[in-house]
Amino acid sequence: MKNNFPYLACGRRRKKSLNHSQFKPRYLGSYWILSLLSALVFTGKVFAADLPADFNAANKLYAEGKFAAAAAAYEKILQTGAVSPALWFNYGNAEFKLGRPGRAIAAYRQAELLAPRDDEVRANLDFVRNQVTGPTLHESRWQDWLGTLSLNEWTMLAAVTFWLTFMLLALRQIQPAWSPRLRGLTLGVFVLTILSCGGLGVAATIHFSKPVAVVIEAEATARSGPFAEAQDAFKAQNGAELPVLDHRDNWFQVADGSGRIGWLPARQVEVLPGA
Amino acid sequence: MVLKLKVFGIPRLRGKGSLHRSGRGWNLARVVAGFCLLLFWAVVTPARAASFTASLDNDTLTLGQSVTLSLAFEGGSPQNVPAPNVPGLQINQAGTSQNVSWVNGAMNSTVTVAFSVTPQRAGDFVIPAMTIDLNGQRLTSQPLQLRVVQPSAASAAQVESGSQVAFMKLTLPASRIYAGETTAANLEIYLRDDVQNFGNLQFTSTPVDGFVLGKNASGQRYRKQIGNRVYTVIPISIALTVTKTGNLSLGPFTASMVIVLPAQNQGGDAFFNQFFNPGQQKQITLATDEINVESSPLPAQNAPPNFNGAIGQYTMAVGAGPTNVTVGDPITVRIQISGRGDLGSLTLPNQSAWHDFTLYPPTSRVETTDPLGLQGTKTFEQIIAPQNPDVRELPPFSFCYFDPDTGSYQTLTQPAVALAVRSVGATPAPTIVTSQTAGPQTPARPEDILPIKDHLGVLDQTGPPLVTRPGFLVLQTAPVLAWLAVVVWRKRTHRLANNPRLRRQRQVGRLIREGLNELRQFATANQSDEFFATLFRLLQEQLGERLDSPASSITEAVIEERLAPLGAPEPLLNQLRDLFQLCNQARYAPIRGSAELNSVIGQFEKVVRELRELTA
Repeated sequence: MKNNFPYLACGRRRKKSLNHSQFKPRYLGSYWILSLLSALVFTGKVFAADLPADFNAANKLYAEGKFAAAAAAYEKILQTGAVSPALWFNYGNAEFKLGRPGRAIAAYRQAELLAPRDDEVRANLDFVRNQVTGPTLHESRWQDWLGTLSLNEWTMLAAVTFWLTFMLLALRQIQPAWSPRLRGLTLGVFVLTILSCGGLGVAATIHFSKPVAVVIEAEATARSGPFAEAQDAFKAQNGAELPVLDHRDNWFQVADGSGRIGWLPARQVEVLPGA
Repeated sequence: MVLKLKVFGIPRLRGKGSLHRSGRGWNLARVVAGFCLLLFWAVVTPARAASFTASLDNDTLTLGQSVTLSLAFEGGSPQNVPAPNVPGLQINQAGTSQNVSWVNGAMNSTVTVAFSVTPQRAGDFVIPAMTIDLNGQRLTSQPLQLRVVQPSAASAAQVESGSQVAFMKLTLPASRIYAGETTAANLEIYLRDDVQNFGNLQFTSTPVDGFVLGKNASGQRYRKQIGNRVYTVIPISIALTVTKTGNLSLGPFTASMVIVLPAQNQGGDAFFNQFFNPGQQKQITLATDEINVESSPLPAQNAPPNFNGAIGQYTMAVGAGPTNVTVGDPITVRIQISGRGDLGSLTLPNQSAWHDFTLYPPTSRVETTDPLGLQGTKTFEQIIAPQNPDVRELPPFSFCYFDPDTGSYQTLTQPAVALAVRSVGATPAPTIVTSQTAGPQTPARPEDILPIKDHLGVLDQTGPPLVTRPGFLVLQTAPVLAWLAVVVWRKRTHRLANNPRLRRQRQVGRLIREGLNELRQFATANQSDEFFATLFRLLQEQLGERLDSPASSITEAVIEERLAPLGAPEPLLNQLRDLFQLCNQARYAPIRGSAELNSVIGQFEKVVRELRELTA
């Protein structure tokens, strides 16, 4: 099995090579500390070894023009829990070739969440968005700017600056003589921490509290209430991205760009976190 | 209203009474008296009980028409009147009116809230009883029945007689259709010559079984004589795609529209009326007959092997270039399929003869020439790359379709295109369409999506974002705790640096700990000289720290001179004296047993503990 994660292999080898008589507290301690840190930060990245082979097989199907089979193959890989920007990107391409712009947009958005600065993802997302007619979501410029980093990248940036701030503060305590020279640097890093924490706060707010529903059916009719017999509120085309305001059972309350509000059944939309 | 007078009128009456007593004048008193009388009349007049009624201006209507629901509130004004929610009925608020009247000295106020009710399907509906809070009273209306009937198509006799102001016809051009075929239905709306104007045409029902409705487009209007009347015909074409085989039905379609007819009995001169008749609006409903049609499956016989579902009538043109290439170089094959059919669903058939070429996903573009999107050209661009230098030609390209008019399969074939393929070493992968194709000054819109990625990249696992993982958040407390630990350490160091006594106290404490270990080792080794020398030194250090004096200046005399005045207990002083004497005696009788030396250690530890409790 090919292992892309050497820190896990390291842990396993060490455990295997030590027998009971060789166990010493310091080995045990470092092993557990490493394992704990790995578990805390990177929760279990263990995948089947043949995923690259499956991915290549799906690519071959796509190259042969068998888009439905390719989409199914990509989807099967995604069902294992493994994700990568390339996987979502190719899945989006296959869905687009099948004439399903909504599913393609949803896939590209997933790819964008993982790789927000991938030009190819953005190009295809923009291309498919341009094919969609009717009401859809338009992100503001500052949302675009925030989207240049993924939520995890914002988190890491905030964490690094946060750690750096306290390390500098600690260094100034340990070496008081350096304190005057470190003052400017500490202040700069502190300001960076505040800014990155602010960015993280806004990005997390958008991510968690402003989900977006992507219409995945040919034409979805938003209704005035969360039931099938309710009056028509407005129609949304396949691929329309609508902000989700509320949800009840299997219905999502969405708004179109002109202020109209309606309820769409869950089967007609794919709901994604705000980007 | 009456209640307000009761509440606010009486205090005002008392206020005016005080003015009367002040003698501002008889006239003012009369005005006040009149006002009082009016107030008394308002108070004693019995208030009418509040009521709430709901009514419809028509309880039976045809689908496509609207009816008004009136909610009347007598004796008060409601704060909020929500629209009733009845599945199948579209109910929108249409306005509010208020009517105030005085009958036999009693004021009667009625607020009417009107709703426009538009049925969305035929059937019997019940608008349920509504409960409204009116001036603190909860009032309930009675439920209302509404019957909505399906409009029926005009009979041939009615049409011929000219009695129909308007009617609608639905026709299909073919009586036999095939599953998967795309065709157009013709809908015609006939308006009699006395219809002055029309508008607000809305289809209320378009039932189809086995069809999918596509785009629709209005055609050129024309006039047609039916019987002895002339009608204006509005043709509308509707694209239909057949989705299944067997008996299919289309319609009846129903619609509503508003027409303007000449006003009746308006008086005046008949001659002028024909020019200046403003007319009267009338809402009408229209319906077509249901059309039944047989849908056949495509014949299995003679179906070409590379038939991929195209139905219609088509022509094809194929071009390829460049034709002089090296192995791996891209060749663009442009295939144009023109004609009538569902162009959007056309796909390129698999070309089994192209096995010596690497094929890349084709791009396509549809250009339609009719408003229904059924006629036009679909252009495919297929990028291919020869895999070896033995390739001499691009094999013939064929495209098969089913012609529903002739009921047979047709094959269009383009002859082979000669190619000159040269051999090379490394051949770069062709670029299909990328964003880099855009020029620096005039960015062109891409014609298709960028191709798929070849490499899977770094895999991650679906999971919650880092910021929500408890482990990650706990980890963030580490720098704070580390900083706090450093701060505590720093403060402690600072405190020690600024407090020599404390520093000495700690140093002596450490000396005593180390000294005790030495004492135990000397006791075990039975080295009494070293034992008592160390003991004497430790006593000096401990007493020196307590008395804030140099250790070297400490002798037995300090017990009497300095410790006793400090209030040290006598047993402690005695024990100290004993220890000093033991140290002195050791010079003369150095040999002692380990047990005795160990007991001295215990005694010394006890003295040290008690000394530390003394305050200097």
